[in-house]
Amino acid sequence: MIWLGNVLVSPGEGGVYGERTLDGYRVWDPYRSKLAALYTLGGGVELTPDMRVLYLGAANGTTVSHVADYVETVYAVEFAPRPMQDLLEVARRRKNIVPIMADAGRPEEYAPFMEPVDLVYQDVAQPNQVEIAERNLVFLKPGGHLILMLKTRSVDVRRDPAEVLAEARAGLERRLDVTDVRWLEPYHRDHAAIICSRR
Amino acid sequence: MLQRYWFGDVDEEGCRAAGTDPAALADRATAIRTGMDSFVPIDWEVARGCGVVRTREEYVDLLRAVCTTLARKKIALSYQGRDVELLQMVRMLDELDNVINLLQERAAEWYQVTNPSFSRKYRSLPAKKMLGIIRKGARGGLSDAAEEIERLAGTRSRLMREVSARADEVLPNVSALIGGLVAARLLSRAGGLPALARMPGSTIQVLGSERALFSHLRGGTPPPKHGIIFQHRRVHNAPKSVRGRVARVLAAKLAIAARLDYYRGEAVPEFLRDAQARIDEAGVAA
Repeated sequence: MIWLGNVLVSPGEGGVYGERTLDGYRVWDPYRSKLAALYTLGGGVELTPDMRVLYLGAANGTTVSHVADYVETVYAVEFAPRPMQDLLEVARRRKNIVPIMADAGRPEEYAPFMEPVDLVYQDVAQPNQVEIAERNLVFLKPGGHLILMLKTRSVDVRRDPAEVLAEARAGLERRLDVTDVRWLEPYHRDHAAIICSRR
Repeated sequence: MLQRYWFGDVDEEGCRAAGTDPAALADRATAIRTGMDSFVPIDWEVARGCGVVRTREEYVDLLRAVCTTLARKKIALSYQGRDVELLQMVRMLDELDNVINLLQERAAEWYQVTNPSFSRKYRSLPAKKMLGIIRKGARGGLSDAAEEIERLAGTRSRLMREVSARADEVLPNVSALIGGLVAARLLSRAGGLPALARMPGSTIQVLGSERALFSHLRGGTPPPKHGIIFQHRRVHNAPKSVRGRVARVLAAKLAIAARLDYYRGEAVPEFLRDAQARIDEAGVAA
């Protein structure tokens, strides 16, 4: 990862969503992006130029654009039409983003387009986030990583976030090694990052 | 075993390429059905071996073109429904209400400063009358603004009629039960006809009262009896003791009506007759 002082940045053409630039680098704001928050807090998986990434829940493509600055290819999956329009615009200017309009919970919809990836990054507001991650493991190379941004409030607003996290962790440990778990405070409330690697 | 990928079919004997035209590949891809149990993601080198592309760069470029074409098609399809425009219409209507109220408040405040006799009594007048007084009584910018607000109010009434008419067309059964305007608001809150048709009655009953619902779920407060459907006369005119029951019965019938609207798309007189009778029955105090 590239740091200027203690500011996380990514190399690439600016002006994607009005982000600031610093010495020709694009500032990657931890308050806006959960992935940036994870790196700022000292966690995460180092993004390298040879990596292929499956990004579930790509939304408007703001975080996607930063990931694309670091890695070789990003498969960006998004379901809703409105953000997809923005994502297509981001993908038009970044030649290593493959925009896929499909439901992340139904990998059979986009499986024919996929190749094995080194990293699955998931940030979806669904109650069955762990299940969705499990269904997408088929695309992950052995030794590859999964970063799951757990939105505890999307799983169940009534329950204690810590309890939701413990349950999600247990669910993932069935098929993966959990290497790190951390809350994204103070950048994002009730969001946790779970990092796993595939055996 | 045969596996189908976006660029062609692959099995033990080799690979059959499907061409290099993005539009044709996109059409072909929509027909592919993948079983995830036997699925293996493909290495891009297979596509090269197949003769579809020569380099990694070409592979990603072609794949991007295919996926972008597909995404554009899906976006166009999802915006095609008649309900999608109704959604925007009703949101514009509610926003207009907001804006008109704000502007009117401001105009009255201003007018009161220059005309101390314009007191509380006048402010309780119907909006149309009050704006007329301000327009005639004030000069310059305030008068112009009042005129502009009146015009906006006219736009709002016309839009309201349009919303009602469109709701009767898109949601014939739901509209018959609670009126076009409230039907359109339900649709807007649900996020579209497919979403509304998949909602249980209990959700429809409290659509629009999310705050009360979540404060109830978090603990303590009593649950909400009604959300948007309170705007319908049969709910807000019902005696307090049976209001919850009316809301519940109405919502249950609305859930059925929404499904009829989505899957059949036309009014079903038998259903409407029975539903109306059942709802009226619920409104009779025990």
